[in-house]
Amino acid sequence: MIHVQGLSKEFRVHKKQEGLLGSLRSLVRRQSVVKQAVKAATFHVGEGEIVGLVGANGAGKTTLVKMLAGIIHPSGGDARVLGHRPWERARDFQRGIALIMGQKAQLWWDLPAADCFLLLKEIYQIPEERYRQTLAFLTETLQVKGELNIQIRRLSLGERMKMELIAALLHQPRVVFLDEPTIGLDLSAQRSIREFLLGYREEHRPAMILTSHYMEDIERLCERILIIREGELVFDGPLAEVMRTHARHKVISLQLKPGASPVSLKRLLGVGLDVELLEEGPERIRIQAPRDEVPNLAGRLVSELQVHDLAVEEMDIGTVIEGLLHARGASAAPSAEAGQGAA
Amino acid sequence: MRRAFSLYGHAASVEARKAMSYRADFWINVVLTFFAQLGVMWFLWKAIFAASGQITLGGWDLPGILRYTILVILAGKLVRGPEMASGLSQDIYDGGLSRYLLYPVSYWAFKYAQHVGSLVPSAAQFLLFFLLAPLLPGSVGAFHLQLPHLLMGVLALVLANLLYWLLQLPLQAVAFWADNVWSLSVLLRFISGLLGGAMLPLDLFPEKARAVLELLPFATLFDLPVNALLGRMEAGQWARGMALGMGWCLLLFLASRRLWRAGERGYTGVGI
Repeated sequence: MIHVQGLSKEFRVHKKQEGLLGSLRSLVRRQSVVKQAVKAATFHVGEGEIVGLVGANGAGKTTLVKMLAGIIHPSGGDARVLGHRPWERARDFQRGIALIMGQKAQLWWDLPAADCFLLLKEIYQIPEERYRQTLAFLTETLQVKGELNIQIRRLSLGERMKMELIAALLHQPRVVFLDEPTIGLDLSAQRSIREFLLGYREEHRPAMILTSHYMEDIERLCERILIIREGELVFDGPLAEVMRTHARHKVISLQLKPGASPVSLKRLLGVGLDVELLEEGPERIRIQAPRDEVPNLAGRLVSELQVHDLAVEEMDIGTVIEGLLHARGASAAPSAEAGQGAA
Repeated sequence: MRRAFSLYGHAASVEARKAMSYRADFWINVVLTFFAQLGVMWFLWKAIFAASGQITLGGWDLPGILRYTILVILAGKLVRGPEMASGLSQDIYDGGLSRYLLYPVSYWAFKYAQHVGSLVPSAAQFLLFFLLAPLLPGSVGAFHLQLPHLLMGVLALVLANLLYWLLQLPLQAVAFWADNVWSLSVLLRFISGLLGGAMLPLDLFPEKARAVLELLPFATLFDLPVNALLGRMEAGQWARGMALGMGWCLLLFLASRRLWRAGERGYTGVGI
């Protein structure tokens, strides 16, 4: 449903020097730099897939989404969404997609949600019966039926976000772009939106691209992720693959028996191993160790310490991805991995 | 066609409701600004006539020019619409344009429908004035409105509204390249007011200047509809003015479309 081939975007950004003199100078002559926001991105997203687009601030996530939603023109490459070039803005394409931006209200600020939805019904030419059914389903699922007649600007952030979701999904799009849909929401609202999105995916099987800085969004919703670093896609594959190839360590957590005699951990952990003591308390110890060393090290710890409980955990996915995002050079994340996603 | 009418009609209706949803703003805009403008112009013209010592100026007596002033204030609200109502450059500046690029609608048609909807309070004020006009002091309120003049005036107002909106389009499109173009809108407001007859009737300009002004788009904005309503215009003169206004509309539409297409290619959708 989404096919992207070598898509690039360059921006010319004007620089303004600091201070009054700088401002005066910029009135006559401005300096500018060309920023490569997206560099030759290639990937595909199929029906019913939710793909996480992960990257640091300014990495190019939103620019990529804006190109795929048809808001901006690319500088190079090509893309097809529902068989259309997005920036040509064919009416069939526009009727088939939705973009939800957590940081930008798209509904009309001064209108009650119900009026906004009626306007969208006209915009998307949704038949009356289908409109009523979809609206009833969405408002009930997201539990905002009672807020339909309140002006958007008077709603809480969570309620507003739910209204934005309803507005975006009223016309039952086949491709949905979600840009930070849970940003700023409390845990309960985040959870309900995630559950809703999963339910919506099951029912309608749209292709979804999700950008989020909340790793829980990515973990719960996406089987596959795209990692973008400085405009370049450096990873495209299943979330589990990130852990397998890039999480070289695991964390061993030990719960000691009360009153256990102290032991020299340095001696136990050995010298020269890539082992890090993350936490050391009278009854709790956490150690980060290379994957291959975990069985031996765990055995040694159990035999030498008075262990009440032991757990071996994967590293936090956020930490692994953060390592990838900040890594430099091809060794951290070979770009050859990009472009291998499901068609 | 029916669907388009329903969509843009709905957009206009929503905007009309919005325009009336803030009570304080509604009354300030409808009543206070009208009386403030009228008060200034009323005393100004009285002072000018008193200082000149003449009964008529450029073919206008004092009650006549006050009638013109009242009508041009009311017509001005209908021609220009509320300040910044269209917000085209603002949409470009803050990225609000993005959502309209997502919708399967024509951005211009949608914005113009919203613009028309925002005129409802001004239209109500215009009608209310004709009901209350006889209460005005002296012969100022003696409007002898005839059906043909009303028809000519209303049609000219519709054209003037479209023309003013189209005059704004190329100026607002500059926002694709420059961050803030508010000053251009102010400039348009001032120039169109002066050269279109909103500040003073075009009859008061010298003959040669008037001949030039009649070829510019501005005369269609205020001079044409107000003089048509006052019955100071022959049908032929009105038809020429309308044809000229329509020609300007077409020209501005084509120029704006070209400019918007070029600008929109460089649109970055900032703010999202």
